[in-house]
Formats: sequence, C-alpha cells, structure tokens
Amino acid sequence: MPVEPDFFFHAMTNPRFTGGVSLGTGIGLRVPHYRHILSEKPTVGWFEIISENYMVDGGRPLEVLDRILDQYQVVQHGVGLYPGNANGLDFDHLRRLKSLVRRTNTPWISDHLCWGSVDGSMSHDLLPVPFTFEAVRKTAENLRIAQDYLEIPLAVENVSSYAEFNDDEMTEWEFLAEVVEAADVGILLDVNNIYVSSFNHGFNPLDYVNFVPPERVAQIHIAGHSKYERFIIDTHDHAVIDPVWHLYARAIERCGPVATLLEWDARIPSFEEVWTEARKSEQWRGVAADTAPDKPEPGGHVAA
Amino acid sequence: MSRLDQLQREFFAALQFPLRGASRTLTYLPESDEPHEAAFLAKAEEIIKPGPRLSAPERLELYHRQYWYRLLDSIGEDFPILARMLGEERFWTLMEDYLAAGPSQSFTLRHLGERLPEFAATWERASESECPWLYAIARLEYARMEVFERAEYRPVQPEELATCELMLQPHVVRLALPRPADLCAEWETFIPVPLASVVMAVWRGPHGIPNDARLDPVEAILLDRLAAGGTLASVFQEPVDPEPTPEQISAWFGAWHARGWIAVKPESGEAIPFVRELDESADPGAGVDKMGSQSRAMD
Repeated sequence: MPVEPDFFFHAMTNPRFTGGVSLGTGIGLRVPHYRHILSEKPTVGWFEIISENYMVDGGRPLEVLDRILDQYQVVQHGVGLYPGNANGLDFDHLRRLKSLVRRTNTPWISDHLCWGSVDGSMSHDLLPVPFTFEAVRKTAENLRIAQDYLEIPLAVENVSSYAEFNDDEMTEWEFLAEVVEAADVGILLDVNNIYVSSFNHGFNPLDYVNFVPPERVAQIHIAGHSKYERFIIDTHDHAVIDPVWHLYARAIERCGPVATLLEWDARIPSFEEVWTEARKSEQWRGVAADTAPDKPEPGGHVAA
Repeated sequence: MSRLDQLQREFFAALQFPLRGASRTLTYLPESDEPHEAAFLAKAEEIIKPGPRLSAPERLELYHRQYWYRLLDSIGEDFPILARMLGEERFWTLMEDYLAAGPSQSFTLRHLGERLPEFAATWERASESECPWLYAIARLEYARMEVFERAEYRPVQPEELATCELMLQPHVVRLALPRPADLCAEWETFIPVPLASVVMAVWRGPHGIPNDARLDPVEAILLDRLAAGGTLASVFQEPVDPEPTPEQISAWFGAWHARGWIAVKPESGEAIPFVRELDESADPGAGVDKMGSQSRAMD
C-alpha cells in the first residue's frame, strides 16, 4: 500500500555512486528463468547477477551471460569480496572480479558488509562484523582498495544478521554510516535485511532507515524471508511482506527513486510472478520521482 | 594479532565444530545424540551477546548450522554416483568427515569437492579394496565439475591443421584412474569386474554437458604432447612406444577433432577464451547457480 511522503525533499543518489546510470526495477537473474528470458525476451529494467557464478574461464555460465548482455543491462552483485575480513582482501578474487566487470560493463558493483574467510579458508557465508571502531577502519580500508582496483563505483550492502558481539561499540546503522563515509563508497540498502535484523536483535527498523546517508544509496534490495517463532532467516523464498514495503517506502522518501531489485532465490516461482512482485515497488518510486527536484528520464541514463 | 582478527578466527573455528542436536536432524547426516561440545557453548558465551529471544549459543548456532547446510547441500549434488555406490548413510558420513577435515579453499562452492578424491583414497572407514574405487569415482565426478567452467580456445578449422600451432582444449581433463569408475554410471550397486586401471578423458560437449571416454595409453601420450602445444607434425612424428598403427592414429585424431578437442594455440599475450553461441536446445542453466546470498530455510 502506498505511503504518502512526509516531506518533499529527496536527497537523490549522488551519481558518482552509480556511475551516472539511472536504473528502475530489476530482478535477480536466476536459472529457472533462463529459458523464458532467452526465448521470450521479456521487458525488464535490468538484471542483477551473482558475480561469483560467472567468474569462470568458459563454458555455460559465460554463454548464457553473453546472451543476456546482448539484450539487457546487468549489474554485478557479489558474495565473496568479504570487505570485513581482518586479514585483508584476496587479490586473485579481485582480478577475476575485474575481468567480469570488463565483460558486463556493470555501472556499479556491490557486495556485502560482512566478513567470510580466514587465511584463505572460506565460510561461504555473509558473517557479521563486530561494530567496533577497529572494524570500521579495516573494512573501510578494504573497500577503498577494492573500489580503487575495480575502477567503478562500489556499493556495500547491509546483511541480515542473527548475532551481535559483546565487542560492539555502536549500532549497525552507525557502523554502516562510518564505514561508507571513511571508504567513500555507496550503499546497497537491503530493507528486508534491516527488517530481519531488527526482529532478531530487537531494534526499531525505522531508526536504521532514517539514519542512512541517503545520497550514498545507489540501489535498494527487497526480498522475502522465513519467520520462525523466535527468529527470522533471510531465505529469499517468499514475496515481500507489508512491513518491508513500509520500510521501502520510507527509504524511497529519503533517497528518491533509487534503482530497486527484488531477490527471490529459493522456491522460485514463475518469471511473471517474480517480475510482478518486483514492479510493486514502482508505485512508491513513482511518487518519489514525481516530487524529486531533478527527475531523471525513465529507464535512461543521466549525466554524471 | 588484532582483536578483530582474533574474533574472526574464533568465530570461524566455532563454525567447524560438528553439527549437533536439532540442527543435525534437518540434514541427511546419520543421527547423533551427542550434544554440542562444551567449547562451542563456552565460545558462544564469550563472544556473542544474548538477544531478545535467543541465548548466545542459540545465536551462534544459527550461523553454525547455515555453514554446514550450505556445504552439505552443495557437495551432495556434486557426487551423485559416489552417493549411489556408497549408499546414503555412508556417503553422508564420508561428506561429514571430509568437510570436518578442512574448510573450503576456493571462492566458489563448485570447487568444494576438489580434495575429496584424495581424502576418499585414504578414508579410514573404507576397506582397502574400497578406497581405490572411491578415489576413482570421486575423481571422475569432480572432473565433470572442472570441465564445466574451464576455458575454450578457438577450435581449429580443417585448413589450419597443417600450418597452425595447435593445443588441447583446456576443458579436456585427462585422468589416470586405479579402477574403471566410468562403469559405475550404469550400476545400482558394485558389480565384480576385473580390477583394471583406466586412462580417461572428460570434456565439455557442445551443449555444455560433460562427456567422458576411455583413452588408449599411447593415445594419452600423444594427447600430452598436444596439451603442451605444437604443430601436428610435432605431435605425431616423434617416436612413441609402442608405435601405433596408421589406422589407430587416424581413428584417434578423427575422434579428437570430432569432439572439438583441438584448438588453435593463442599466439602471445593474454589468451582470449572463446565463448560459444548458446545452444538453447540444451538446459541453459544447469549448474550455473552455485553461489547465492540467501540462507537455507529450516523446515
């Protein structure tokens, strides 16, 4: 349900965090939809790919990707950069990532505000960073290095989390703001993740959304999740629930009509159902775009 | 060591404790009544803040079970023949032992089984006669993962055969297996056969589907030469023992060419892989989506 904006000033994303490219509604490129996309060529604003699935030397992943790139704008989203790692970045990973960036021409690239490996041993998970000043410094350093190396705007996504540390020295939203400011990177704001973490940790999700520096928000993620009696798991296997849409509406009020992507990664329904769910976001972005000071051309590029 | 480094090492070590309790019942692992080790519970209390509804150990356990679920789900789908030959319970025991022996070393879950063949070859729960079979099956199945994502260079055209520097396509993996593991693809259970070692090639077919074939030992030597790169003359004119007949050479070479194994060797600088036009008649997505950002549901 649309929410009336409570004020009419939109910070609007600084174009340097999106490479000057303005995108509308997108969905994740997922295997069950490949055949439909390749044969029907549906109208879709853009697709997000999981970078690591295409960081290969050859074969079917690149064959599919090249066909998609012939028709669609693709934005890369990673799960293996691990900028919160205390022992730094994996430069082999960065090299492979940059090679894929050259192939996809992604306007920006995103990954998660998390850590995930120790001395080359991989968790393959998005593990929570302790919200400490030491972690701010290390994470920002890693993000700066990555963005400089990749030579395109980098946005970092808040993750769903299930634990907090005794070491924490600030809230998650304070940590996010400190990191992106120190690293000078953008934000991929996942409003579903904010909702999941707010339930798991007992905070008001609006406090989070209201604190995020809006000019740095390059992209927004929406998704569904699985609610259990005492916790929520970020499973991306349901439609978006109303409380998450309300957070989305508030984020759009603050940030303007930011590129928005629906993640649906398990129990994936038909392409049409996923695309219809994603397009629900347009009712809020339409309101924001109509009241924005510099309305971008729909689906087009804006000057940097 | 910084505090951040120490905390991450302790957290990561906790993930690798064995799966226990209710978490375990949501997997195919054999049942166990053993509770979490005291060290796991103590580490949780030490580093994790209790939440509004979950204790510190319960919160750490959410990460612990997701770590195991992700690895087990991934590796379980990579070795279907090994699972059938071992039976479900022994297969999952092997997977648990393998994953407990050391964490993944690659950015992608596609490589999670890379060290499984060597691990299975000395698995302490297998008999001396089983181990060579387990190695051979796991190696052959992992080769199918390898060829899925390997590079391909420009296939040679017939008119280029006599003049160009050639090479074996990188997606052709050659294997020396101690047992004829290729036979297991058709078996429901082990069938007594002569215990012969075999030389095999696994390669990516035109629809992106892995294929395999046995190689003659002399043919394998000639393929080694092609893999090193060179002209057709350099591959076939050097002596080899035993010397193949012209008919054998003709048959082998014809098969290599028909299977698309022969590439033009990139001249210099960065080799640019060749990407085929997508053939939509095959399943376009099989095996692509190993990695994701979602967690697994717990029901």
